Amino acid sequence: MNTLRRLWQTNRLALIGFALAAVAVVFFAVRMLVFTIYWADPAHRAGPIEGWMTPAMLARTRHIPPEAVARALGLGRDVPRRTTLAEIAAERGVPLQALIAEILPLLEQP
Amino acid sequence: MTDQLLALLPAWGPWLLATTTFLSCLMLPIPASMLMLAGGALVATGDLALPAAAGGALLGAVVGDQVGFLAGRGAGRVLPRLRGRRARTMARARQKLRRNGAAAVFFSRWLFAPLGPSINVAAGALRYSHRAFTLAGVAGELVWVGLYVGLGYVFGANLEAATELASSALGLLAALAAFAVLGLWLLAAARRRGRTD
Repeated sequence: MNTLRRLWQTNRLALIGFALAAVAVVFFAVRMLVFTIYWADPAHRAGPIEGWMTPAMLARTRHIPPEAVARALGLGRDVPRRTTLAEIAAERGVPLQALIAEILPLLEQP
Repeated sequence: MTDQLLALLPAWGPWLLATTTFLSCLMLPIPASMLMLAGGALVATGDLALPAAAGGALLGAVVGDQVGFLAGRGAGRVLPRLRGRRARTMARARQKLRRNGAAAVFFSRWLFAPLGPSINVAAGALRYSHRAFTLAGVAGELVWVGLYVGLGYVFGANLEAATELASSALGLLAALAAFAVLGLWLLAAARRRGRTD
C-alpha cells in the first residue's frame, strides 16, 4: 500500500495509464468473448448477401455448389467470374433484392 | 463510400487495394482495412489472386509511408531552426527515436495503426534513418496486410463479423501491450524507490 502511495506521488501518469490499460484489457476481453459466443452460432455466421459479392462468394459462404448458384441465377458461361451480384441485377434491370430472391430457395435446402 | 468502393473491388482488385492503402497512409479517411478484409474474401473464392491482392495492398502502403516520410524530411529542412528549450526538446525526441524508432515504426503500422501517418512525417522531420524506417515499415505493413487479408480469407464474406473481430483482437493486443509496458515501468520505479529509502 505504501508502495502504491509512493508511486502515486512519483509516477502518477504511469499509474493512471496502467489503470486505464487494465480497464481496456477487461473491456476488449469481454468484447472478444461476446463476439466468440455470438459468431459461434452458424445462423449468425453467414452474414447478409450484399451487392459487392460475386456468385462464387455467395456459394462459398452458404456452402452450396457454385454451379447451383449459377443455375439459379441463369448465368451462362460467358459471364466473367468477377461480376458482382449488383452488376448482374443492373444488367437485367431488376433490383438486387429481386435477384437475391431467385437464390433464396437454394438456401433453404438442407 | 464503403459500398461504392466494395462494388469496385472485384473488378479493380489489386489496383483498388493499392490506392486505398496508399491514401490511408496519408491519413485520409479510407476504409482500407475493410477493403483488405473483402479482398481476402475474394481471394478465398478464387475471384482474386493472393499475390496480386496482398502485393497491391502492400505496395500502396509502403509507397504511402515513403511519401509521408519524405514529406516530413522536406518539411524538416524548410522549417526555421529551433532555438533554446524547443531545440533541446527536439534533440531529445530525436535521440528517443534513434533508440526506439524501429519499434515505433513497426507497431504503428498495425497495432497502433491510427498513429502511423503522423509517425511517418515525424520520423522524416526528425531525420530518422531512411533505411531503418523502410525496413521496419515494410515489416510492419506485411503484418498489417497479412492480418487483414488473412482474416478476410477466413471471415471476409461477413464483413461485419470480420471488422469486429479485427478491432477487438487488435484492441486487446494494444491494451495488453500498454498494460505490460506500464506495469514493468511501475515495477522498476517501485524497486528504485525501495533501494534509495
